[in-house]
Amino acid sequence: MTRSAFSLLVCAALLAACSTLPSPLGDPRAMKFDPVTFTIPEVERIVLENGIIVYLLPDPELPLVTVSAMIRTGAIFEPPDKVGLAALTGAVMRTGGTARMTGDQIDEELEYLAAVVTIGIGRESGTASLDILKKDLSRGLAIFADMLRTPAFEPARVELAKHQALDAIRRRPDSPAGIASREFRKLMYGADHPLGRESTVESVSRITGEDLVAFHRRYFTPSGLILGVAGDFAKPAMLDLLRKTFGDWKPQPVTLPALPPVTGSPSPETSRSVNILNRDLTQTYLRVGHLSVKEDDPDFFALALLDDILGGNSFTSRLFRDVRSSQGLAYSVGSRLVPGNLGPGVFLIYAQTKGSTTYQALASMLDHMERLRQEPVTDDELQFAKDAFLNSFVFSFADAGLIVNRLMALEYYGLPRNFLQRFRDNVVKLTKEDLLRVARKHLHPDRVTILAVGKDDDIEKPLSTFGQVRHLTLKPGG
Amino acid sequence: MPRRVPAPLLSLLLLASLASAANLEERVVEHRLANGLTLLMMERHQAPIVAVNLTYKVGGVYEHNGITGVAHLYEHMAFKGTRTIGVTDAEKEKPLLEELDRLAEAIMAEMDKGPAADQTRMAALRKRFTEVEAQAQRFVVPSELATLYQRNGGVGLNATTGKDLTRYYLSFPSNRLPLWAALESDRMANSVLREFYKEKNVVLEERRQSTDNSPTGSLHEAFAAAAFMAHPYGLPVIGWPSDLQALSRAQTDAFFHAYYGPGNAVLSIVGDINPKKVLALVEQTFGRIPAGPPVPPVLTTEPPYAGERRVEVEFSAEPQLLIGYHKPSASHPDEDVFDVLEALLSEGRTARLYKRLVQEKQVAASIEAFSDYPGAQYPNLFVISGTPRAPHTAAEVEEAVYEELDRLKREPVSPRELEKILNQVDATLVRALRSDSGMASHLAYFQAINGDWRETFKRRDRTAKVTPDDIRRVAANYFTRSNRVVATLVKPRKREEEAKP
Repeated sequence: MTRSAFSLLVCAALLAACSTLPSPLGDPRAMKFDPVTFTIPEVERIVLENGIIVYLLPDPELPLVTVSAMIRTGAIFEPPDKVGLAALTGAVMRTGGTARMTGDQIDEELEYLAAVVTIGIGRESGTASLDILKKDLSRGLAIFADMLRTPAFEPARVELAKHQALDAIRRRPDSPAGIASREFRKLMYGADHPLGRESTVESVSRITGEDLVAFHRRYFTPSGLILGVAGDFAKPAMLDLLRKTFGDWKPQPVTLPALPPVTGSPSPETSRSVNILNRDLTQTYLRVGHLSVKEDDPDFFALALLDDILGGNSFTSRLFRDVRSSQGLAYSVGSRLVPGNLGPGVFLIYAQTKGSTTYQALASMLDHMERLRQEPVTDDELQFAKDAFLNSFVFSFADAGLIVNRLMALEYYGLPRNFLQRFRDNVVKLTKEDLLRVARKHLHPDRVTILAVGKDDDIEKPLSTFGQVRHLTLKPGG
Repeated sequence: MPRRVPAPLLSLLLLASLASAANLEERVVEHRLANGLTLLMMERHQAPIVAVNLTYKVGGVYEHNGITGVAHLYEHMAFKGTRTIGVTDAEKEKPLLEELDRLAEAIMAEMDKGPAADQTRMAALRKRFTEVEAQAQRFVVPSELATLYQRNGGVGLNATTGKDLTRYYLSFPSNRLPLWAALESDRMANSVLREFYKEKNVVLEERRQSTDNSPTGSLHEAFAAAAFMAHPYGLPVIGWPSDLQALSRAQTDAFFHAYYGPGNAVLSIVGDINPKKVLALVEQTFGRIPAGPPVPPVLTTEPPYAGERRVEVEFSAEPQLLIGYHKPSASHPDEDVFDVLEALLSEGRTARLYKRLVQEKQVAASIEAFSDYPGAQYPNLFVISGTPRAPHTAAEVEEAVYEELDRLKREPVSPRELEKILNQVDATLVRALRSDSGMASHLAYFQAINGDWRETFKRRDRTAKVTPDDIRRVAANYFTRSNRVVATLVKPRKREEEAKP
């Protein structure tokens, strides 16, 4: 008792002392700083004789080397009746051994060396990486190259990967956010389109070990491979090593299946659609948006800045300040410009809010989207968005691995090597009028697709005021 | 090729450079201010940026039933500003905030009457509350702290609240250090809790998201509550919903004043800095803050008990399993053995649980082990978490886990397994240096939990000394039925029956 009374007294004294503290450095709002200057390191690009593209950026600070790979493949190229094949191929390339070693031997050796190897095939690309202590590089690189070139696809590991994939499908409904993301993607690109579809128990069950072997053989070839190396190495020695491990890999031609056109919203005649997926939840997961530009669109930069202002910037965006801080409706709220690479991108706004405030949150979010079309952003908002972007630009060049990986991705997607620098130059020039014009052209709150995953009873009626309600059902593994 | 270094010599050189890179100790500058603030600095000039991690030795463990969630709620409030930041006129704002507190109290009192509550009075109070809240809002400069940081290139601004620690962090261009020092020292000294009642609703939404609608979140909450009868490690950091509803601004403010003094904080700064200049800057700003009162200790200790505890959570989701064994705090000599056990059982694809349960028996879809759950400062749990792979059951996974744990009691671990773990610890130390923010977090963590940032290196050396006998002894002592708690996630039985067509 006496103890806590004493503490209270001390607190009171402390409070008084603290509140009279002047700020010895002056008003933080008035502080001025020199622009952030830095030099972007030169990255060397070499094409090996067999067509492999190599980026090299030495950085001797730590005795580590990271070798990254991007390979021209992806789930978009898998046959529609075997969705999941690409992901399985990537998984078993990592686990299923090589021509020289079993999967177990590889795991034992890599983990003993504290090396980290990843291989995965996503929707639009394949990626792999080796992160290893410099002293073990040649050994690690040899194993890594074998995994890319001569994976053995041991039957037991194929079976294990299939079991794991099926279990992951079974567990999909356990995450409401996951449901919302997948359903929204299907609404955007179409449930059967390569950019929208998802694996199912049936599609995965159909996949055989031979399918994996064939998928690998078809896409893993030097002409589809980009390598990037960052870390503690000398360029000539690294090139020698890469030639030794990858140089005798014979190139073969690859024909990439054509991506079917996306026929999603918004077209001028569509109106808003409201899609409700009934789940027994205490929150509604809202995803609202439409298809948008590809990353190479001249308006992409302005749209990215609009996204920052609307809901991209944490704490300071309009959606965060209003829907979260001022109205207290959501912990998670914001907007996102998903850049389109091979297909169109998506502009979306999202929130999670309790059932009874679903209408209020959604109405506010759509109002904010509409306001960007109705009136220019303020001078201060524009200046802030530019300053935040420009002053944090240095973080895009903070480490060698980051720089190399970005160059690889830019090359993979056919974007110019100086894309970020161009981004920067464009942002500097943007005016309020530019943003208004781009908002009017690319933001369509009147034609958005609304997805609400939540309790029917709570949300059906209020949401019907936004448009025609359609009920979705969650397919097994959906 | 003119100069070829002979291979053996080359590898020796490489080993030497690995050791020196891992030998970070010389690069850390430590300083303690007169008011008790601990400052850790490390120079790293890869880019003109700096990462800052300000760790307060406070978290959910300093709460009790009735005020659960207050540490985390305060963490949210810490972004709302001070007497000069986030507000246009703090003097005019103050009486409005105080009126809001009185109204909130009156509303709570009326609600407590239950069915006898005076609805007319309640409606009038609520109306007045909304009006005053709108008046107060007129003085708010929303997110001004974050605006100033982001305008100056700040990235990754955020904070986390755990059981033991609350951590505030961001990175920014290094020439903006004065801005950071002014803002952050102001936040340590002069925090004002505004938009309080709105933020409670935000936290309630966070709870719905992270716990109520999450099978994993729900299971962990019940698991910790079952494991700790008395100790506050059993309370949820996010707070019980009723406590969150009832928490007052005065309680939250008192919590701030009790635990946010400079003596209870560790400030870690890594990046493109000149330590001498940073020290002067920190002295000039944080140094002016008076030392806080001594922090009230956590009084409750978990009483010893014997007997397995089991808890079940019904949730419409696939099954999950948690197994925990009570163990001592991070300062106990057995801690290093538990670290080795964690790696041995679940680090990588060659780890024992993954190998046996996922690859060979295929009863589990995933399995992992983690030590120091849910915190490290006080006696805690060694936990194994798994998901059965259908059609296998949680019971089969549980059985298979026990078989592996029993094997640890019988068979000595091979020297190669121990070497592998040590290699991984060494590599992790080198990789930690890759990011300023990772290193800043690492140093502040060990300083706050163990009272010494060097613990990270001492631990490495102690790990090297762990023997197969140590592992057998610890497994036999702790991995017993009477020392464990088990939580399983199961489908709701009744509702599932009803749902069938």
